[in-house]
Amino acid sequence: MSNPFEEPDDHRPPAYGGGGGSSTFLLHPSDDSEILEGFLCPICKSDLKTPERLTAHVEQQHSEEQALLKSLKEIYSLAKKKILNLDETATDLARSLDNSLQVVGGKQERVPVVNPILVGDQLVGTDCDHSSYFKAVRNPRLERYASETNKLIIRLDKLLDGLPSDVDARKKHEQSKVPWIDGKLVKLCPSCARSFGLTRRQHHCRVCGSVMCDGCSFHLSFEEARAIVQPVSPGGADSARAVPAVQESSPKDHDSSGFRVCEHCLHLLMNRKEMQDSRSDRPLITKLYDRLLQEKKDIEPDIPMYSKIIGSLYEGDAIYRLSDASALREKIGRAAERIDNVSKTVLAIPFTQGSREEALKKAIRLSCISFIKERMLSIPPLPVEDEIKKIQLRKKQETARRIERERRLALEAYERYELESGGGTTAGTYNGSSSSSTASTAEMTNGRFYGPTTVTGSDNWTSQQPAGITLSSSADPLVDQINIVKGYIRQAREALRFEEVETLERNLSELTQEFYERQRRRATATEAGTSGQ
Amino acid sequence: MNVIKAVQLYIENMIADAGPGMKMLMMDRETTSIVSMAFSQSEMLQQEVFLFERIDSGRSNERLKYLKCIVFIRPTRDNVLRLQTELKSPKYGAYYINFSNIIPRTEIKALAESDESESVRGVKEIYADYLPVNPNLFSLNIPTCLQSLNWNQEALERSVQGVISVLLSFKFRPAIRYKSSSSTAQTLAKKVHETINKETALFSFRPPEDGSPPPLLLILDRRDDPITPLLNQWTYQAMVHELLTINKQRVDLSDVQGVPKDLKEIVLSSEQDEFFAANLYSNFGEIATTIKGLMDEFQKKVHDQKKIESINDMKNFVETYPQFKKMSGTVSKHLVLISELSLQVSKQQLFEVSELEQEIACRADHSTQLQRVKRLVTDEKINLQNALRLILLYSMRYERHANCGTSGLLKILQDRGGRAHIVPRMLEYISTSARQELFNTVKITDAVKLTRNLIKGLKGVENVYTQHNCVLKEVLEEVTRGRPLDASYPIMGNELPFRRPPQEIVVFVIGGTTYEEALAVHRFNQDGFKIILGGTTIHNGDSFIEEIVAATAGVSFKHSRSLQQFHHAPAGEA
Repeated sequence: MSNPFEEPDDHRPPAYGGGGGSSTFLLHPSDDSEILEGFLCPICKSDLKTPERLTAHVEQQHSEEQALLKSLKEIYSLAKKKILNLDETATDLARSLDNSLQVVGGKQERVPVVNPILVGDQLVGTDCDHSSYFKAVRNPRLERYASETNKLIIRLDKLLDGLPSDVDARKKHEQSKVPWIDGKLVKLCPSCARSFGLTRRQHHCRVCGSVMCDGCSFHLSFEEARAIVQPVSPGGADSARAVPAVQESSPKDHDSSGFRVCEHCLHLLMNRKEMQDSRSDRPLITKLYDRLLQEKKDIEPDIPMYSKIIGSLYEGDAIYRLSDASALREKIGRAAERIDNVSKTVLAIPFTQGSREEALKKAIRLSCISFIKERMLSIPPLPVEDEIKKIQLRKKQETARRIERERRLALEAYERYELESGGGTTAGTYNGSSSSSTASTAEMTNGRFYGPTTVTGSDNWTSQQPAGITLSSSADPLVDQINIVKGYIRQAREALRFEEVETLERNLSELTQEFYERQRRRATATEAGTSGQ
Repeated sequence: MNVIKAVQLYIENMIADAGPGMKMLMMDRETTSIVSMAFSQSEMLQQEVFLFERIDSGRSNERLKYLKCIVFIRPTRDNVLRLQTELKSPKYGAYYINFSNIIPRTEIKALAESDESESVRGVKEIYADYLPVNPNLFSLNIPTCLQSLNWNQEALERSVQGVISVLLSFKFRPAIRYKSSSSTAQTLAKKVHETINKETALFSFRPPEDGSPPPLLLILDRRDDPITPLLNQWTYQAMVHELLTINKQRVDLSDVQGVPKDLKEIVLSSEQDEFFAANLYSNFGEIATTIKGLMDEFQKKVHDQKKIESINDMKNFVETYPQFKKMSGTVSKHLVLISELSLQVSKQQLFEVSELEQEIACRADHSTQLQRVKRLVTDEKINLQNALRLILLYSMRYERHANCGTSGLLKILQDRGGRAHIVPRMLEYISTSARQELFNTVKITDAVKLTRNLIKGLKGVENVYTQHNCVLKEVLEEVTRGRPLDASYPIMGNELPFRRPPQEIVVFVIGGTTYEEALAVHRFNQDGFKIILGGTTIHNGDSFIEEIVAATAGVSFKHSRSLQQFHHAPAGEA
């Protein structure tokens, strides 16, 4: 009934021993290119040569494990005894920690949390968009409202046009522009449903002409009415942001400084006003915030670029220079400073204590601080110049060594070939056998290739070439191209556009490669010519 | 299949829908918890969400028209009404409305009619309607879900919604299996099945092309495994929950002495706390070792920091400061937790208690166990909760034993002032199948288990404190091996059962799940299965006892007539 899913522990020993033979049969490319096959122990990584010995070794290893388990078990029971006898008042932190440490032997099974199944790409779940249905319901209604509101605004405009200051004359003026409903037909106030009488008198909405009682009427001041009819310029918008200006005013000044309106008309008009306001309204905080966004957007690509440059410097690549990194670092630093400053300005905007805007500006500042801290200040420090030089030197040496090795291999192969074929050189046979050291193969095909003395030759080869550029006149279009690209690189570098620097550098190296190729071909041609003579 | 990731993706998408610019998030009580389980506040700040507002409480009427308002609320009637009021006089410039579950069309119509100033930009359903606790664990945060041993209607509705939203999060149209003996499981399975069939448009996922079986939704009942929540735990997360209680990732330490002020409330999130994520399932001993290593490393760093002599040192300090600060926070947090746990372990004599708990849970040995329970229950050093739990375990196992000593034990507990009336209620709470299967020693599987335990014991890898296996583990073994399930876990509806085991499994436990079960699921997942566990809540011993009290309120006593004298709580206690 035992099952591999259930009790992996039961199966571990055979799995180790049995699996050891097959799974550890490794291929090892070694330095002298001889391929090694080994029976490597999965635990101590030593080569045991034969499967029999490996199995024996693993069994030994396994028994060691058993012993380990046993000893741990002993430790555990000891610890338990100790803990149970513990003085209850022992609250000392260090001691309690040590005590819990002793329980370690209790369980050997360790459960790593990272789960391969759960780590894989996960797509966002299903969703359901109701926006189109929502709009299908909303928009026709809104259109109706809009036309209604427009009608009201036209009337309001007519009312305001040539408005008399005298109260009685004004009433006449108002009635002439908007037909009032006959009060006799209305017995009850339409909004509160109370009957009109001596104490509850009828009033008319000046905009739509309907009837309501005093308590259900609202007041629209002339200034507001004018603001609705003629939207103010954005400059004056700040005053409009102040508290909604409509208040239920006392009946006395109701008719003197504004229009009496019904709830419905007021709602429509104020909605329109609000939409106008919010459209023209751009408070300081939004302007500053837009600047922050722009700053962040501008610097965002530079941060990974910087890390890339640093990485490439540590690799010993020659595409970027240390000065590039330091310039970019400075740029990031300056951007951080600017973001810091703008966010400080945001923080300095005066808002009422305890208001939401107060909380908002603090949150903005906080997000900027953490952006600066986590993204901008966490970038790796500049490498020390000497270190980079050392790395570059080491890399150079490594390349040299590799070239030498390849060359030696090629030479050996060549000698072997010579032995077999009894001498005679065939140019091109070895071309491409080691692509990275074309120089050495080239020399070899000429049969002038002896011993380690030529090692320096490869270095000479690389260092001699720049001289070759100056020698070959600028009549060569390739050289012109190289010089142009170099100019571009300089410009891009000054402008801190490092993506361009990278592509250009790549271009340049291709060009120079091509140039060297040509030079070499020419050189070998002449050499062949001279040796042939 | 990661529930935290699923919720994060939903919320990230929701925020991205609102575009760049200053944003605020309007939520209700539940969605606030959901969002806070998936993101920290600073992560929200990085996504330009600067303000948070609850739609159901403490709203200001300050107008901030230059803000975009992302609404993320549950689709309840109250929420829709509140949102209608908000839309009639909008405080913010634009609204992006997201409901956390399926919303009736009539409600959308009502909202559309309220949007007079055209401020709504979009209306969407996203199905992040559950609390993601661990990658493989979710909760619906319903502390008690039964009434007279049947569904509380509200809890049932919430459970259907929760399960549906998990399925939609992973685009599952599952086969539904439920424990046949549990009427609550059957009801939930039926409701979920109905919803899936009603919402055909939502659940129109293409079936897997290779003809592999559909995902499985497995609905279980806590009443079938009342033992697991009663056992003391020894893995980190479970232990913290057991001894200090984790409430929505937060641990309240305000009652603990000598805790620094800033650690009165600790957040334990596997998303934001790497140390916690790595040690969620480590046992008590390991965690102490790990934290000691962390402390050493930290002290080494502190030591390094002390040697600030040159400007270069200063620079290095500033450059490593964020990581440094983060690390110091982690170290002090877990140090406080571990030392408190360790204190509780010795104070409550948990080694001894736990060993006996496990003994009772795993094998029958009446006379010895009765003696040991009696000794511990009498012992003044063992606190009343642990004494009660021991008696609960004993009374369940030996309910039908000829010499059952439950009433004797209860007398001792009563004399000590313990809540003896819980025990008869527990005996009413546990299901018939728990009675028949859990402690039935003559079952063949038990014999197999016994042999296995014997082998384990010989090998020396068994830990006496974690020998208990939850019922869930056994069920999942059956499922993942493709054993025939139809007898005890029938399929809802008339879908043809697949012979092969399903690739993905969602388990839902009515009456709450536990961290021990989460660990069991985690082990399966490590073997390559894809299993998610959820429950109406996540229980520890204390919260489970409260659930039992609520579930059995007003139930007549059938199984515990012999314990009549303990039926009622002493005056002054519910």
